Amino acid sequence: MENYVIEMRNITKIFPGVVANDDITLELKQGEIHALLGENGAGKSTLMSVLFGLYQPESGEIYKNGEKVTIKGPNDANRLGIGMVHQHYKLVDIFSVLDNIILGAETTKHGFLRKKEAREKVIALSEKYKLHVDVDALIEDITVGMQQRVEILKMLYRDNEILIFDEPTAVLTPQEIEELMETMRGFKEEGKSILFITHKLNEIMAVADRCTVLRKGKGIGTVNIKDTSIEELSEMMVGRKVSFVVEKQPEKIGRTILRVEDLTVASKKHKNNAIKNISFDVKSGEIVCLAGIEGNGQTEFVQALTGLEKVASGKIELNNQDITHASIRKRSKLGMSHIPEDRHKYGLILDFRLEQNLVLQRYWEPKFQKHGFIDNQSVREYAEELIEKYDVRSGEGAVTIVRSMSGGNQQKAIIAREIDRNPDLLVAFQPTRGLDVGAIEYIHKQLVGQRDEGKAVLLISLELDEVMNVSDRILVMYEGEIVGEFDPKEVTTQELGLYMAGAKRDRREKPNG
Amino acid sequence: MTYLLQQTILYTVPLMIVALAGVFSERSGIINIALEGLMVIGAFIGVYFVRRIILLNAPLSFGQPLLLLGMLISIIGGCLFSLLLGFAAIKLKANQTIAGSALNLLAPALVLFLILLITSQSVLNIDSRYSSNDYFMLNQEDFGLGTKLENPLGVIGNVLFNKTYITTWICLALYIGLSIILYKTKFGLRLRSCGENPQAADSLGINVYKMRYAGVLISGGLAGLGGFVYSVTTVAASSNGDVAGFGFLALAVMIFGNWKPKNIAAAALLFGLLKCIAVGYPYIDINNDGIYFLNTIGISQHIYRILPYMITLVVLAFTSKKSRAPKAEGIPYDKGER
Amino acid sequence: MAKTLDKVKSFFKSIGRWFKSLVCTIDGREAKLLTIYHKPATKSIISSLISIFVGILLGGLILLIISITSGGKISLKAVWEGFRLIFIGVFNTGRDTNGNITFGFNSTNIGNVLFRATPLILTGLSVAVAFKTGLFNIGAPGQYLMGTAVTFIVALSIPTTIVPAWIVWILSFVAGFLAGALWGVIPGVFKAFLNVHEVITCIMTNWIAANIVTSLFDNNKGIFKHLLDPSPTKNLAYLYKTTENGVVTSKMGLDVLFPGSQVNGGIIIAIVIAIIVYIILNKTTFGYELKACGSNRHAAKYAGINEKRSIILSMAIAGGLAGMSAALYYLSGNTEFYWSTYQSLPANGFNGIPIALLAYNNPVGVIFSGIFMSYLNVAGLQLKNLTPFNEYITDIIIASIVYLSAFSLAFKEILNGNFFKRKKNKLFLENSQENSTKPKIIKEEESK
Repeated sequence: MENYVIEMRNITKIFPGVVANDDITLELKQGEIHALLGENGAGKSTLMSVLFGLYQPESGEIYKNGEKVTIKGPNDANRLGIGMVHQHYKLVDIFSVLDNIILGAETTKHGFLRKKEAREKVIALSEKYKLHVDVDALIEDITVGMQQRVEILKMLYRDNEILIFDEPTAVLTPQEIEELMETMRGFKEEGKSILFITHKLNEIMAVADRCTVLRKGKGIGTVNIKDTSIEELSEMMVGRKVSFVVEKQPEKIGRTILRVEDLTVASKKHKNNAIKNISFDVKSGEIVCLAGIEGNGQTEFVQALTGLEKVASGKIELNNQDITHASIRKRSKLGMSHIPEDRHKYGLILDFRLEQNLVLQRYWEPKFQKHGFIDNQSVREYAEELIEKYDVRSGEGAVTIVRSMSGGNQQKAIIAREIDRNPDLLVAFQPTRGLDVGAIEYIHKQLVGQRDEGKAVLLISLELDEVMNVSDRILVMYEGEIVGEFDPKEVTTQELGLYMAGAKRDRREKPNG
Repeated sequence: MTYLLQQTILYTVPLMIVALAGVFSERSGIINIALEGLMVIGAFIGVYFVRRIILLNAPLSFGQPLLLLGMLISIIGGCLFSLLLGFAAIKLKANQTIAGSALNLLAPALVLFLILLITSQSVLNIDSRYSSNDYFMLNQEDFGLGTKLENPLGVIGNVLFNKTYITTWICLALYIGLSIILYKTKFGLRLRSCGENPQAADSLGINVYKMRYAGVLISGGLAGLGGFVYSVTTVAASSNGDVAGFGFLALAVMIFGNWKPKNIAAAALLFGLLKCIAVGYPYIDINNDGIYFLNTIGISQHIYRILPYMITLVVLAFTSKKSRAPKAEGIPYDKGER
Repeated sequence: MAKTLDKVKSFFKSIGRWFKSLVCTIDGREAKLLTIYHKPATKSIISSLISIFVGILLGGLILLIISITSGGKISLKAVWEGFRLIFIGVFNTGRDTNGNITFGFNSTNIGNVLFRATPLILTGLSVAVAFKTGLFNIGAPGQYLMGTAVTFIVALSIPTTIVPAWIVWILSFVAGFLAGALWGVIPGVFKAFLNVHEVITCIMTNWIAANIVTSLFDNNKGIFKHLLDPSPTKNLAYLYKTTENGVVTSKMGLDVLFPGSQVNGGIIIAIVIAIIVYIILNKTTFGYELKACGSNRHAAKYAGINEKRSIILSMAIAGGLAGMSAALYYLSGNTEFYWSTYQSLPANGFNGIPIALLAYNNPVGVIFSGIFMSYLNVAGLQLKNLTPFNEYITDIIIASIVYLSAFSLAFKEILNGNFFKRKKNKLFLENSQENSTKPKIIKEEESK
C-alpha cells in the first residue's frame, strides 16, 4: 500500500445546474509532482478548491497521511500544510508585496502589525528559492511574473508542504515557465508535494511524475508520465482522437486590405510605449497571426487598430483609406470587424436580448431603423436568420437574455454578428479562449471559411497550437515589436518560442506593395 | 477671528467623523449612502435619551457625564440602524445604493413620526427651561483659565479652551485612533483587503462577511455619533429629523479625500472654514483691529455660500484622475461565485 | 337556425379552450398564465407587490406598537382605524354621528392624489432615465429648483395683456425644461470628460442651485425681487403665484371629475411625457444607445456609440424632466414658492429616487409608483386628521417598501425556487438546446 500524503476519495461537488466533480478520487504521493489534466470546465479547479477548503463537497472524504481530515476553509488547509497559487491571482492591488504575503497570517503585538520579522523572513525565503521580488512595491506596479512569485512566497511563508498550482503558466514567457519548472523541481527535492493543474500537455510531459485526467466532472484515470504519450493524454482528456490539424485550402492571396505603418501606441501601465514602430500588412485571402506571450502589446495594438484607443504615431490604412484617427463607427463602416478578447467586457451587453446584441454593430443602418425608430420586425428577422445560419443556441431564441447563454454560444453570437457583416478585414483576438474543443473546431472552421472567401483575417492568439494550425503567416510580437515573420509550414514551435521569449529577433524591412 | 475658528472646528469635526464612517464601510466593500439617515437617527436617539434623563431628574443628569452617555447611546443607535444596511447588503446581497437610499428615507420619517407623538411639535429639545449650552458647553473657567475676557493663552486658548465641547476632543481622538487602526493593525489590513479583493481575503482564511459587518457597524456607530455631535454643537441639542444635508456632504468629503483619512481631514477643514466664512463673514475681524474687512468688500453673501461647493467642483475637475475608490465596493460578495 | 346554434356552440367552445390554455399544458405548450408568470417582468411586478404588502404591514405593526407602549393613551380602535386609513384613507368621507369613519367617493382627496402625483412622476422619470444610462441623478432637487426659478420668471414677467396667456404658459414650461436640462448637463459633463463621480457633482450642484435661486429672489438685492408677494399674509417670503399673471394650467375638465381638489391638466401632461420617455427609451436608436451605455459602457464604446454624448444627453434629459416637474407644479397656479431655499432642498426632488426605484426605472411603471406614493401621502393626511397618529407613518411605509425592494432579487429567487440551498440538487437545465459540455442533470432532491 503506497503512502499517500493526500487522498481525495469519492469527491462530489455540485453547483446549481452542474455536477462539477462526480465521484472523483485523487491520490498524491509524498514528494511527487502530480498533474491534473482536463479541458476547460472539466472540474480541475473545483477539485483543488475543495482540497483548499474554498468549497465544501457534497460527499467524499479527504485524508492526510492516512488520517481523515475536514477542511472547512483555507485556514484548515493551511494548518494541514496545504497552499494554493490560483489561476487568477488573489492579490490586493494597492497593498505592497509584503502586505499581501502576510495578509491572513500577520504577526502582531496587541493587534498592531509587526512587519520587521515578517520582512526578514520573506527576504530570506526569496533568496533561498531564488524568487526575486521587490518587497515594498505595490502589486499594481509589478509584472505578472513577479506577481506569481508573490503568490508562491505566500505559500512558503506559511510553511506549506503541499503546493497546488492552478494553471500557472498561462501568462508566463517560455523563459519564466522554465524557471517555474526549476522551482518546482527544487520543491520536490525538498520533499514538498506538488499538484499542478493545466491543460498544456507538453508541460506535463516535461515536469510531472504522474497525471490524473478529468473529463466533464469525472475522473478518467491516473497514469505514470514515463509510460504515456501526448497523444494518449489528449485522447483521455477529450474522449476521442483529436485532429490537431485544421483543414485548409491552398491560399489565394489578393490585394492588400490592411496596412500598418510605423505604428506606435503608448502604454497605460508604464512609461515605455506598448507598441513601437511596427509595420506589416494583411492581404485578402490570408490569415495572418500575431503570436506572442500575453502582455507584449497585443491588447494595445488591437485597441489602436479598432479605434478603442488612440495612436501615438504612425498610420493605419484599410482598403487604401487612412483610418488612423477614424472613429470606431467609421472603421466598422469601412469594412472592419472585430471579435474582441473579452467577450463579456467588449463583445456583448449581457443584460440585452440576443437580437439586440446581434444588431449591436448595425442598429443604425436604414435596414433596422427609420427616423430614429427601431424596426423591431426586421431586427427580429435578422436575428433569427443569424441564429439559424450560425447555429447559435439559447434558451428562448432571439429574445434570450444573453447573460444566460453558455460561453460557447455567446462567442458564436459574436462571430455570427461580425462575420455576417461581410467585412473586408476580420480581427479576431483570442476567439477561442475558454471554450471547449467542439466550439474551438467550429470557430476555426469559420475563420478559415472567411479566408477562403477572400477576406483578410488578422488573428491574435496566445495558443501556439492555434497559431500553427490556423494561420498562413505568423508574425511574432515581443515587447511591442515584430521580431520575426514565419511560414507555419516551415517553422517549429521551439523556434517560435525563442522569438516569443525575445531570445532571438530578425531585422524587419517595411513591406512593399 | 476667534469666533470664526471656534465655529470652524465645530463644523469640521462632525464632518470628519461622518466621512470616516463612510470610509470604514466603503473600505470593507459596502457602499454607504445612508450616512445622512444614520446621522438623523443618532441625533434623535442621543437627544431623546438626554431629554428623558433630565425629565426623570436621574443622577448624572448634568454636564459632561450626561453628554458622554448621550454620545454612547447615539453610537449604539447608529450601530443598530446600520444593521439594516448590513443585513440587506451582506446577507441578502441587495443593491447597496437602493438600501442606503431607503434608510435615508426611513430615518427622518421614523424620527419625525416619533417626535410628533412625543411632543406634538416638530422639534425635540433636551430641555425647555435651559439652553443646551448651559449643560454642555465648556468655557475657559472650566479649564481653570479664569473668567477674564482675555484668555491668558491668547487666541489659541480662546479657540481651544473657550466655548468648546468635549465632543470635539473625543471625536478628534477617535478619528486619529481609528485611522491608526485602519492602517497599522491586523484588523485594519484585513478590513481593507475585503473592500479591494474579497476573493483574495477569503482564500487567505479571512471571513469576509464578518469583516464587512464590522465595517458597517463601525460606520453606523461613527455616523450616529456624528449626528449627535452635530446636534449638540450646531443646533443646540435639538432633533428635527433633518441634518441639512450634512451626511451627503460627508459623502462628498470622503470621495474628495480619496478615501484616505489625512486627505479627508484636510478636505473637511477646507469645507468647514469656507462654510463658516459664509455665515460669519460680516463679523470676521482678522487682525483684531476693529475693522470687519470682508463686510466692507461688498461681495454678496450668496457668493460666500456657494464658495465651498464651487471650489470643490474646481478641485475635483483637476484631481479626479487619481480618484481611487475601493475596488470591490458595491459588489455583493458571493463565496460560491466561480 | 342550426347553423347559428353551431356557431354559438363553437364560440363558447373556443372561449373554453382559451380559458383552458391559461392554466393547462396543451400539446407541449405550457399554460399561458405560467408563461406570463415565468417572464422576468412579471416576477418584478410580483416582488414589487410583495414589498408593498409587507411595507404596509410593517406600518400597521408600528401603529400597534405605539398603541401598546402608549399605556392606553392610544386605543386599539385608533390603530385599526389608522391601518384601514392607510389602505383606503383616500376614500374616507369623514366621521358619522357614531364616531366611525365612513368611506365613499372623496373627490377632493382623489383629485389631490393626481395633483400631487404630477411632480413626483416627472422627478421619478428624471431619476429613472439617468439610472438607465448608469447614472445616479441625485441632483434632481437642484434641477427642480432651477426649473422653478426660470418658470416663475418667465410666467410672471411676460405681460399677458400683450401675449396670450396660453403662449406664456408654453414659454414658461419650455423655459423650465431648458433650465433643468442645462443644470443637469453640468454633472454630465464632469462625468463624461473629467470622470468625476456624478453623485458628488450632483450634491454640489444641488446646493449651488439653492443658493443661486435664493439670490435671484433675495428681498434685499435680488434681481427679481419684484416678483415677491408683498401682501400681509405673505410678507415677501413667497413669490407671486402664477395666477397673478393669469398663467394657469388648464383644468382639462378634471375639476369637474374631482371637484374641490387642486387637480389640473398637469397630470395628463405628466402621463403623456412618461409614455413619450418610454417610447424613446425602448423604441428608438437613441434609447438603445443610452441603455447600452448604462448596461456596459465598454461594449457600447466597442459598438461605436459615443459614450460621452450619451452621458451628457441623458443627464440633460433627466435635468429637463426635473425642470418640467417644477414647471407643472408651479404653473398649476395654486402653489407658492418660498424663495429662501438655500438651506433646504425640495422634497419633490428627492422623492423621485424611491419612485424610480420602486418602478425598476421603467417609465410607465413610474406613473404607477408616482401615483402610489401620492396616494399614500394623501392617506397619511387623513391619518393626521382622524387619528392620534401623524402623517409620517406613510413616509415610514414608503421607506420600508423601498428597503424591501432592494432585495427584490432575493424575492425573485424565492419565486424561482432557487433561494434555499438544498434545492440545488433538484434541477434541470431549462436551456435544453445548450451546446455545452455541462451534463444535463435531473436529480431527485436528496436529504442532506
